[in-house]
Amino acid sequence: MMKLEAIVTRFPDLEIVELTAWIEQGWIRLESDTPAAWVFDGIDVARIELIYDLRRRLGVQEDTVPMVLSLLDQVYELRATLKAVTGALEHQPAEVRAAVVAALAGADAS
Amino acid sequence: MKDPYKLLGVERGADDKAIQKAYRKLAKLHHPDLNPDKPEAEATFKDISAAYTLLSDPEKRGRFDRGEIDAEGTEQGAARNFYRDFGDRPGSGKYQSGPAFGDEDLESLLRNAFGRRPRGGFAMRGADMHYTLSVDFVDAAKGTVKRLTLPDGATLDVTIPAGLKDGQVLRLKGKGQASPSGGAAGDALIEISVMPHPFFRRDGNDVIIDLPVTVQEAVMGAKIRVPTIEGPVTLTIQPRSNSGTRMRLKGRGIAGGHQFVDLRVVIPTAAEPELEAFLATWQPQHPVDPRSAMEVP
Repeated sequence: MMKLEAIVTRFPDLEIVELTAWIEQGWIRLESDTPAAWVFDGIDVARIELIYDLRRRLGVQEDTVPMVLSLLDQVYELRATLKAVTGALEHQPAEVRAAVVAALAGADAS
Repeated sequence: MKDPYKLLGVERGADDKAIQKAYRKLAKLHHPDLNPDKPEAEATFKDISAAYTLLSDPEKRGRFDRGEIDAEGTEQGAARNFYRDFGDRPGSGKYQSGPAFGDEDLESLLRNAFGRRPRGGFAMRGADMHYTLSVDFVDAAKGTVKRLTLPDGATLDVTIPAGLKDGQVLRLKGKGQASPSGGAAGDALIEISVMPHPFFRRDGNDVIIDLPVTVQEAVMGAKIRVPTIEGPVTLTIQPRSNSGTRMRLKGRGIAGGHQFVDLRVVIPTAAEPELEAFLATWQPQHPVDPRSAMEVP
């Protein structure tokens, strides 16, 4: 858990104003609406580093950042879903797993 | 660490701009968060970032060029967690992009993830078939079922969802050509063309209609029956409603959209001697110049 002031010290050139703007645009989602109550956990910090990389290192324009984030969120969501499915399959009996693999391989072959 | 110039793929004499351009190009390709499936991306990204850190600092670059420091001296210090390191959480937690998956999404996801990829031994999937289907404006707005007769005489019932737009393509899974080798049948892809309506127009989910009114109705006000896609409703025209007045019939559009009614005053085209005689002598109590905003001399 970190506070706003501690976050910006991790970056050589990130001001509170800019970080606040990122949060207000919904790029980073926090529990509270009041800046004084903002706390950042690990995933938020990693997301800030990602946005920082996009803006500063990769030269992504500000109006393009929401598109990149939206696509990334979709990728991670799909990965999470796929992982959940494979996780669920791992706990199935061997014949169920074999049937699923066969079904995926042959699609609608039956 | 390797030669930073070679890592970024630039000449030793390259200027700052060329170096930044080369770095950004590589960083966009190799940023670990953009490559969750490539574990090696993190090392690559760190290498090119370190190379860029060195070459973008004129002092360090000069010392490196003169052989005073080697590339190792600039290794990025602080360890960091990349966004992708949070594994499933970016997807399943608060940064989820939309509502959770339904069964249907999951099915199509798995199909797309594994089913379509031509791997050794897979049965060939049948070809997709393309059709076109014309739908009335009102049918497309309200939704309906249309029967499509295929070239081979078979029929296909196509469910038109409410609010379908002109040019949209419906995919009917497994309704295309059968597989030549016992695999999945292809899909039927049906492009819908929505026929224009004599008086309804569409803007997103709103329906717009021009409503002609007589001079009397516009001046005196009236209750008028107005067509909507769900059947006629009664609309009250306020007295002294002008051409161009827009009224809203709430929720009478498509899927929660509204219907907008634009009034158009129609003056009589046949001879009306009494009206003409009246207008010839009429002195308005509130004279207006309707063209005052145009500033015509």
